[in-house]
Amino acid sequence: MSSGTRQLHPDENIKLGKLGPHVFRIALTTGVLFLILTLVMGLLAGDDMTRFFFSYLVGFSFFLTLALGALFFSTIQHLVRATWSVVVRRLTEAMMGTLPLMFGLSLVIIIPMLLGHTGLYAWSDLAYAEDNYFVSQKLGYLNVPFFALRIIIYFAVWIAIAHYFLTRSVQQDQTGDTSIAARMRAVSAPAVIAFAITTNWAAYDIWMSLEPEWFSSIFGVYIFAGAMVALFAALILVCMGLQKRGRLTRTITTEHYHDLGKFLFAFVFFWGYIAFSQYMLIWYANIPEETIWYQMRIEGPWMYVTLALLFLHFAFPFTCLLSRHTKRRRSTLAFFCAWLLVMHWIDLYWIILPTYDDGTIPFHLMDITATLGIGGLFVAVAAHLLGRVDLVPTKDPGLGESLEFENY
Amino acid sequence: MTTENQSDIPETGPGGEGPLHGVLAEYETPGELIEAAKAVRDAGYTKWDCHSPFPVHGLDPAMGIRPTVLPLLVFAAGIAGLGGSILLVWWMNAHNWPWIVAGMPAFSLPANIPILFESTILLAGITAFFGVWALNRLPKLWNPLFKSDRFLKATDNGFFISIEAADPQFERDKAETLLKDAGATAVEAIHLDPDPTRWQIPRPILAFIVITAILGLVPFAFIAKARVTHGDQPRIHVFPDMDFQVKADTQQRLVIDDSPVFRDGQVTRPPVEGTVPRGQLRQDDHFYRGLEGDEWATTFPAQLDIDTSTMDRGHEQYNVYCAPCHGEDGLGGGPIHERALEIQSPEWLMPTSIHDQNVTRQPHGQLYNTISHGIRTMPGYRAQIDEEDRWAIVLYLRALQRSQKALPDDVPPEERAQIR
Repeated sequence: MSSGTRQLHPDENIKLGKLGPHVFRIALTTGVLFLILTLVMGLLAGDDMTRFFFSYLVGFSFFLTLALGALFFSTIQHLVRATWSVVVRRLTEAMMGTLPLMFGLSLVIIIPMLLGHTGLYAWSDLAYAEDNYFVSQKLGYLNVPFFALRIIIYFAVWIAIAHYFLTRSVQQDQTGDTSIAARMRAVSAPAVIAFAITTNWAAYDIWMSLEPEWFSSIFGVYIFAGAMVALFAALILVCMGLQKRGRLTRTITTEHYHDLGKFLFAFVFFWGYIAFSQYMLIWYANIPEETIWYQMRIEGPWMYVTLALLFLHFAFPFTCLLSRHTKRRRSTLAFFCAWLLVMHWIDLYWIILPTYDDGTIPFHLMDITATLGIGGLFVAVAAHLLGRVDLVPTKDPGLGESLEFENY
Repeated sequence: MTTENQSDIPETGPGGEGPLHGVLAEYETPGELIEAAKAVRDAGYTKWDCHSPFPVHGLDPAMGIRPTVLPLLVFAAGIAGLGGSILLVWWMNAHNWPWIVAGMPAFSLPANIPILFESTILLAGITAFFGVWALNRLPKLWNPLFKSDRFLKATDNGFFISIEAADPQFERDKAETLLKDAGATAVEAIHLDPDPTRWQIPRPILAFIVITAILGLVPFAFIAKARVTHGDQPRIHVFPDMDFQVKADTQQRLVIDDSPVFRDGQVTRPPVEGTVPRGQLRQDDHFYRGLEGDEWATTFPAQLDIDTSTMDRGHEQYNVYCAPCHGEDGLGGGPIHERALEIQSPEWLMPTSIHDQNVTRQPHGQLYNTISHGIRTMPGYRAQIDEEDRWAIVLYLRALQRSQKALPDDVPPEERAQIR
């Protein structure tokens, strides 16, 4: 029925304008200050920076998953020729534009490892690895130079995809050449495949190898599910923030929020589904080298975090987001987005920190400051990118349909 | 879109045509359809409907249709599926026939969540599907509107409103004017067939439905017949590997090298040497063997609650296992003893009185050991009575022995009057 002829409202504010440099300055200052603060606390901790790296990895993971979620969202919209999402696609394009920054931040983990720091990944300590039969058999894969090479390859692939889709999308704004959309669609298929392979293996390397004895083939999907929850939550909040500041007020409508909310709901469920699928097979097989990962998380105080994830990352938002009213009313939707972002952070914390200490919950102020620091840089780069372009792909052939989009 | 029932009290039409069913109006766009629907709604009609090739957003409020109850039905069915399947797996696995598989608990959520999930979805899905049918009164094989050639466009690019003659305030002229004023490109009257028999389902179709339904009963008839007859053919084995399993049947003779399962003739494996099955360590000498160090225990083990319920349990178990020989009073004259005297059994020795000094002097642990392993002609009862119950019997024995030396002061004051 949609004829797709609707135009952007002539008075619509589609430029970030002064808001761009303003956000950039605040975010950059916050980021740098908090990172310095974290570094100082790390040095003062006197444990050869080990605790610092765990905190840093949590913050790094949070924003890396966000950027990867954005990368996937932006590419798959081309692949499936989605039109409803055109009005929000530029925002995710800016989020995936932070991947070069994330690569720079990953060097903070890789370079000390190359210099011989072994605090974060147990397998990088040869004395430990050769003492442990399972790990010693994996050293052909789990060794520092190969690890560093793989991380560089992942980022090369991600940055290449992000760069391609961001620049082409902006180029189309300027030239109005609709064949660009067709080319992006053709590239999106191999891009999504490359994304799936690299993200899956990156999940094995960055998070699963924290516990080098343990393995779970579904783990990459689990990380992906969490990343998508975080992306939709963040995207909805960014849209609301921009509209509050008078941008895109007539472009993004309740219908778009409703659809983003549906995706948020779907991925909350997908996350729970994957988390359970991983748990059930390990629970049923009951093999020690597989159960160890859960044993660390269900004995002692970590059990509370595990239960919190079950009820607060899954059951509570799932039940509440079931209703369309929750998704169409902005205040409730915003609440669950903020809620799920916090839960995604706790999820990553639950994945990473038991490796540091599975007997207590080793909370440290650095966990917060590292996340805020990396978040500051992330927001600064995204705001900088958005400040130079229109907030919507103005010449996208699907824009008309996106503006007219309605749920039935 | 709901399709209302066809008219009950049809108005007789002009010659040649059947009674009037209603009027049908065509509109060009969904927008015009919505505006016209609002007009018809505001005019107060109740038996009317809109027809469009696809769902039109905003048509429900324009027609004045209340939000459907279907989501609530689906939700309720989902909850019922969830609750029902929880009850099902609990009742089957943990209550009616508890069966431990691979050391997992009889009732465990991780193993059953797929079942709970699937039944929730199944019931919700079935309710959604058939709920739509029921709420829309489907299947409806025929509608008088189908007679209109123009109405064929309703599945392609036509948007229609029909008002039925059965509507209480239906007046043909007024209705046609209303629809035309609302922007209709065409308005036509729809008449039923003059022959009332053709308002019903055509005979051949009805016959086909009835015959199919009857044929559908044939398999059930065979099943019913099989239940009351017998045949000389061996039964069909649909799943031979389930009918003939690799297992040992009860009392099957097992020969070395001929066991269906293991070559040594056994069907289960003995525990690995040097290992103890979970929950069978029995390290506590006091509780399991009645020993404190090398001596018979003189106290009750900590596992035993010394209270009335344990005493009652001991009383009950004593009457089941001990009283047949020792007698309910413990003096040794139980029913078996009486019977032995009756038949003058030459081998029978009178059971020991538990009030004998040799017995009363024995520590708790030694009594426990006697119950477990027997003494002289008394067999051991460790296979029949579990540890806790054996200790409960010892506790009861102590009470029984004490009762033989009771003084008037032992009886509660209010019951003392009954003593003669």
